[in-house]
Amino acid sequence: MIEVIKGTLLLSGAVFMLLAAVGVLRLPDLLTRMHATTKAAALGVSLVMVAVALHFAEVAVVARAFGVIVFILMTAPVAAHVIGRAGYFVGSRLWSGTVKDELRPNYDPLTHELKSGLETEANARRRPREDDPD
Amino acid sequence: MDAVIKLSLALMGLALCLAFVRLIKGPSLPDRVVALELFSTLIVGIIGVISIHTDVASFLDVTIVMALMAFLAAIGFARFLERGGPRDD
Amino acid sequence: MIGAAWNLLLTLAWVVLTGDFSGLNLLAGLVFGYLALALIQSQVPGLAGYAQRVPRLLLFVGFFIKELVTANLRVAFDIVTPPWHMRPGVIAMPLTAKTDFEITFVANLISLTPGTLSLDVSDDRRVLYIHAMFLDDEESLRDGLAEMERRALALFR
Repeated sequence: MIEVIKGTLLLSGAVFMLLAAVGVLRLPDLLTRMHATTKAAALGVSLVMVAVALHFAEVAVVARAFGVIVFILMTAPVAAHVIGRAGYFVGSRLWSGTVKDELRPNYDPLTHELKSGLETEANARRRPREDDPD
Repeated sequence: MDAVIKLSLALMGLALCLAFVRLIKGPSLPDRVVALELFSTLIVGIIGVISIHTDVASFLDVTIVMALMAFLAAIGFARFLERGGPRDD
Repeated sequence: MIGAAWNLLLTLAWVVLTGDFSGLNLLAGLVFGYLALALIQSQVPGLAGYAQRVPRLLLFVGFFIKELVTANLRVAFDIVTPPWHMRPGVIAMPLTAKTDFEITFVANLISLTPGTLSLDVSDDRRVLYIHAMFLDDEESLRDGLAEMERRALALFR
């Protein structure tokens, strides 16, 4: 029984990783590629690690496998965010099928300022925060 | 079980090859960084499968270090791409 | 937070006193520690709401795993079928999360769920810019994101 579960987990993890790789190869622009790597690859590694935990079934190993899963799930979105933002601001082009971009008009490439588009009435009553530079 | 392990290793190896194609093709530096990121995740998975195959639990320590290094590398690459601009976060 | 620390301490005490270091016994210790804390929480101000927060956290983890799997299946389907069904775009989502920790948590959750990837937060921290892969129905996407943010923030407030 446990062998079957383990095998299923391993295979589905491997398939998800393969899908991530196919996505990185096929998808048309940087941001859509990041969708494939963050989600599919993180899920694939998590499934493989659950299989490892089932295989050894000792407290120390299960704790370590769980640690790897939590670590991957915590860092994958952060890495995607920093790389995606850097790529976007450095000027990698979006795919021609992109329907909407609400970020571009709010971003100033010279000062690197990113507005929220909500400040018109908020600025009037904006009080300086404590950690604002003088 | 042995066949399943071989099959999943083959699938992951194929995935590594595909990611490598993207690494070579580029076209821009961020794309290559994404491919490298995928590399490290794939290698974590491969080490997990190998630790099942060889019954050696210590390989899991390697995966932890691998994941940590990949994360630091991604942050470093992102800083490099933005050339340490005025955004301080 | 203080509740979780007490729970772990009680678990440790349980494991040491029973002298059985197996995973099952650890789980039993966690459950008994939780029950003890739930019984005394009305007497101790520092523990207020701990008993309610733990089931909410478990429900949230289940919800999150479900979202992660459906997200992956949808993106996977689009990757393997030759014509592109996606309509990607960058949208601005107003945030109700205020502190740095809450914004980080919400942004990470958004990166891991259905076809969305958080790109950046505006300088005044009121708007999160999200790259979405399926913008066919923008209203329902925004509703889903707001629902997830509400559920995530309910864990801390």
